[in-house]
Amino acid sequence: MSDDYPSLLRSERMSLVQLFVPTEVAHDTVHELGELGDVQFKDLNPSVNPFQRSFVGEIRRIDDMARRTRFFDAQIEKEKDVVPVRPLYECAPLLTVGPRSAQTVDELDTTLSQYESKLTTLNESYQTLSERTRELTEARHVLRETAVFFDKAHTQTTNIRSSFDDSATPLLTSHDDREGGYSSGSFDLEFVAGTIERSRVPTFERVLWRVLRGNLYMNHTDIAEPFIDPSTNAETRKNVFIIFAHGDVVLAKIRKVAESMGATIFPIDANADKRADALREVENRLEDLQTVLYNTGIGRRSELVKIGESLRVWQDVVKKEKLIYETLNLFNYDVRRKTLIAEAWVPTRDLTKIQLALRHATEESGTSVPPILHELQTSKTPPTFHRTNKFTEGFQAIMDSYGISAYQEINPGLFAITTFPFLFAVMFGDIGHGFIILIAAVYMILREKAMAKQDNGEIIGQFFYGRYIILMMGLFSIYTGFLYNDLFSKTLHLFHSGWTFPDNSTRGVYTGHTYPFGLDPAWHGATNALVFTNSYKMKMSIVLGVIHMTFALCLQVPNHFRFKRKSDIYTNFIPQMLFLQSIFGYLVLCILYKWSVDWTKSPVSPPSLLNMLITMFLEPGKVDPEKQLYPGQGFVQTVLLGIAGVCVPWLLISKPYLAWREMHKTTGAGYVTLGNGEETAIARHSTDETLEGEEEGNGRAIAEGDEEHEGHDFGDVVIHQIIHTIEFCLGCISHTASYLRLWALSLAHAQLSEVLWSMTLDGRTDPKSIGGWIGLGIMGFMWLNLTIGILCLMEGLSAFLHALRLHWVEGNSKHFEGGGYPFAPLSFAGEGSKEA
Amino acid sequence: MEALFFNIDNGFLEGIVRGYKSGILTQNQYANLTQCETLEDFRTQLSATDYGGFLANESLPLSTSTIQEKATQILVDQFNYLRGNAVEPLNKFLEYITYSYMIDNIILLITGTLHERDTHELLERCHPLGVFESMPALCVATTVEELYQSVLVETPLAPYFRDCLSANDLDDLNIEIIRNTVYKAYLEDFHSFCGTLGQPTQDVMQRTLAFEADRRTINITVNSFNTELSKEQRAKLFPTIGRLWPEGNNQLAKADDIDQVRAACETVSEYRTFFNDAGVSSSSAHGNGGIDDLAAASMLEDRFFRMEVFLNKQAFLQQFQYGVFFSYVKLKEQEIRNLTWIAECIAQDAKDRIQDFIPIF
Repeated sequence: MSDDYPSLLRSERMSLVQLFVPTEVAHDTVHELGELGDVQFKDLNPSVNPFQRSFVGEIRRIDDMARRTRFFDAQIEKEKDVVPVRPLYECAPLLTVGPRSAQTVDELDTTLSQYESKLTTLNESYQTLSERTRELTEARHVLRETAVFFDKAHTQTTNIRSSFDDSATPLLTSHDDREGGYSSGSFDLEFVAGTIERSRVPTFERVLWRVLRGNLYMNHTDIAEPFIDPSTNAETRKNVFIIFAHGDVVLAKIRKVAESMGATIFPIDANADKRADALREVENRLEDLQTVLYNTGIGRRSELVKIGESLRVWQDVVKKEKLIYETLNLFNYDVRRKTLIAEAWVPTRDLTKIQLALRHATEESGTSVPPILHELQTSKTPPTFHRTNKFTEGFQAIMDSYGISAYQEINPGLFAITTFPFLFAVMFGDIGHGFIILIAAVYMILREKAMAKQDNGEIIGQFFYGRYIILMMGLFSIYTGFLYNDLFSKTLHLFHSGWTFPDNSTRGVYTGHTYPFGLDPAWHGATNALVFTNSYKMKMSIVLGVIHMTFALCLQVPNHFRFKRKSDIYTNFIPQMLFLQSIFGYLVLCILYKWSVDWTKSPVSPPSLLNMLITMFLEPGKVDPEKQLYPGQGFVQTVLLGIAGVCVPWLLISKPYLAWREMHKTTGAGYVTLGNGEETAIARHSTDETLEGEEEGNGRAIAEGDEEHEGHDFGDVVIHQIIHTIEFCLGCISHTASYLRLWALSLAHAQLSEVLWSMTLDGRTDPKSIGGWIGLGIMGFMWLNLTIGILCLMEGLSAFLHALRLHWVEGNSKHFEGGGYPFAPLSFAGEGSKEA
Repeated sequence: MEALFFNIDNGFLEGIVRGYKSGILTQNQYANLTQCETLEDFRTQLSATDYGGFLANESLPLSTSTIQEKATQILVDQFNYLRGNAVEPLNKFLEYITYSYMIDNIILLITGTLHERDTHELLERCHPLGVFESMPALCVATTVEELYQSVLVETPLAPYFRDCLSANDLDDLNIEIIRNTVYKAYLEDFHSFCGTLGQPTQDVMQRTLAFEADRRTINITVNSFNTELSKEQRAKLFPTIGRLWPEGNNQLAKADDIDQVRAACETVSEYRTFFNDAGVSSSSAHGNGGIDDLAAASMLEDRFFRMEVFLNKQAFLQQFQYGVFFSYVKLKEQEIRNLTWIAECIAQDAKDRIQDFIPIF
């Protein structure tokens, strides 16, 4: 089984390699390997703190650069008018490899910090300016509002005075004097005016009321427009207030309260003319300020535009550099600190490619010392790497989300490419619906390039990811649709039907020739159509299920060979296969046989296969001649039952027995279990062979060799086998029943689409009047929407889910071991696309 | 029975708070933190913990106050999330937790105003958990009466302040008296509130609060040696809950030096150990008693913190009770104190004292 050609059958063969990288080329080498995306580095200093590793200084510097780019990003986001950010693929790349790489990064660092300081100063001045603008705006509001208030007060006081004219109490006369003073223009009732946040007004009022014991008159009005903080974009709404009170102490208190509540107080003159002057002045200054503010804003914007042109490149470089140094941190220094030592998993097939990349990196960096790569022998389990393309990617993902297959295990993802869409289609079979999803898939595939670039959102993104699955599901659904002869619940008459209905009778007459492909259209609309399709689909699901399970069971065999467990073939595979076939394989044969017999010409009525299976267990050997399928049935069934019965203890005992014998052989030969037993010894032996060539570095490989093997106790084997046996025997029965979901979903799908047709379009397809046409239009629209929404999307998802389950549970439980860990190579490409 | 229905209202929040709790730094992480050379190392190290990138967007150089501020902000956000999702009576319970911060803030503001500090600076230094709407207006008041009438009357703390209206002029001593009186009232009220919450909560919380009360009692006693505070006044400040109450409190009220305090605490076995070393050192060096008392007091403080952490950790051992919420806040607060301490030691290059924090888990 040499892997000359990459296949999905097993995961890629991996090698553990050791790299000796001279310090000068380390950066460029990792960069090159990151571009290649084919190397998974191992952490060689797991016990070292993250901040005690060799390249922390660099990482910290890059973190700071990353912070700066984030700052720019945030600034650009915040800018109200959209600042164009040139996407990465349109920018000239910034070279960070080669002899000038360090300089480039230094330059980038200074550029970034320059821009940052420039932007910060601009922001600061913008901030102070807008702060002052805000203050002035508030002052303007206060002036305006108080003016309104004073005017109102003025008219009101005259009213009050006139009403008080008759009375002559001394208190009021003195009051009159005051009022007189006021009307002549000087207002000497003291007051405090300012602005305060609207949410705080009630508290403010309450506190003032309590502090001054009610000795105040307060008025406030809303300012219509909100104030926007330029740095946070937060909106605040404010109110203008004016408080009248008397006495210096009280006023001081008011001011203090107002200040501590975050209000701004403005000095307002009581004199109307002076107020008008102040208003004019404020407005003038505001105008000036706004011009300056505008110019600053423009300056800031142009700076941001300049940043926006190369921001993506910077981010890309920073991200890559960070990844590179994080990878370098996984490396070990050699004794003289001249070279870095790295260990990595690489696909064996790509070794030459990696060698080339290494040489390329050396040339790029302009040094003469190339990194040295050599393979290590190890007993550690390599990661699982399936080389997928855009077609197989989705199918592999389905299987990987159940579990990562063990290294070099048979990969169920390969077979899922056909079995998955097929089982889906068995449930979804309809030419029309299949065609709709096929169109959707074809659309996504044609627009693949454009859609891959844009952000599709979570839901569309999911569908887009599975576009080839959808394509296959569509194709298979059309195929099964032809088999079921079902097109939006209607039938196709491709060939001549095998049945005629003479004289409008409801009883069909067989014409003697069979419908060549799929279901005879005559069944459509027949009174016993449901009975027929039910029986047909139910049996078909059992047949398909048993075939699927048998196939999945067979996939064990190559695994047993590959993992050198040949004994498992006759302790596990053969009894399992016999058990499955003697019960359910037999049932399938009976189904096929029953289909092939023309029961109209048979002397006996067709026997029920379900009852046959039940009596096979309950009364072995006895078959009622009335219900006999074929002669000699009783004997055959007894034998089969016997085989199945034998298989259970066989499965249960044989493996533990072998383990027990093995154990006795070792102890009998005088060996004592020491440490991890024999497996380590083998590993040690194999590493020893390679040790001769390279004496350096390999010490570690040996040390790592003994990590993984735990001693397998005899008790473990017994318990594991008991569980396995119970699981398999019960599983066979329940899993076979589980395949009936194929029938159930297919039936539900067909019925639902028929109901939809009869509720909307039935009888309207041939409109006679304008109303009929309108009705057809409305109903047709509804039908189309519901067909896509319910039948294609919802039913499709449910069929998808059930197909998924059949693969994960019914299929995978027969052979899949899982327990691998995925290959996670250092790759810039993946990181880039995640962000973009 | 309460276990049966607890999860209907509080199961989610208890789950959340237990999740938060598992994010509290462990011994191992502290060990890593103490090895840091600079505050940037400190940040890198913290980013590997539950704190994550909370300092990622801070420009260099970092200051300890920023670290403390940001860490506190995390606690405040978590607490507000809990409070936002809580229903009665957990809501009320969480509010009670904030009262102690409110008291601290009020005292801070009054003291600050007394010493004519800038109001805004004071407001910034207030603990965000104890902020309430009319708090800024506290700066105006000059007498307790006025304080109460203008601001406090509408806060939930009003009943606590009612007892101390007699102290008229605000000076440092009086403020201290007010703080302790109010705190006493608060503890007693919280204690009785927890009593209404039913068994497991009552059990856990009253144990924690009793310790808190005893700690205050002992602290007041130790701190009032050689001050103007008369013994009758001192006795009035002692909370009437706790394990020392009543006879321990009586003894403490009459105590004149730390040995008598120790004698008073003999009755409670857990407290006995607090004074062991302290007593030895005070008797061995009788010459400079003043400085020694100070050292003993700071050691005592340290032990109290350790005891508090221990009790709060114990609160997590029981399910279906509110104590975990209280304990989480307290533990997190201790953690922030630890972080600040370590950061301060790193910043000031005082490596020899860096281990003097109180590990939690």
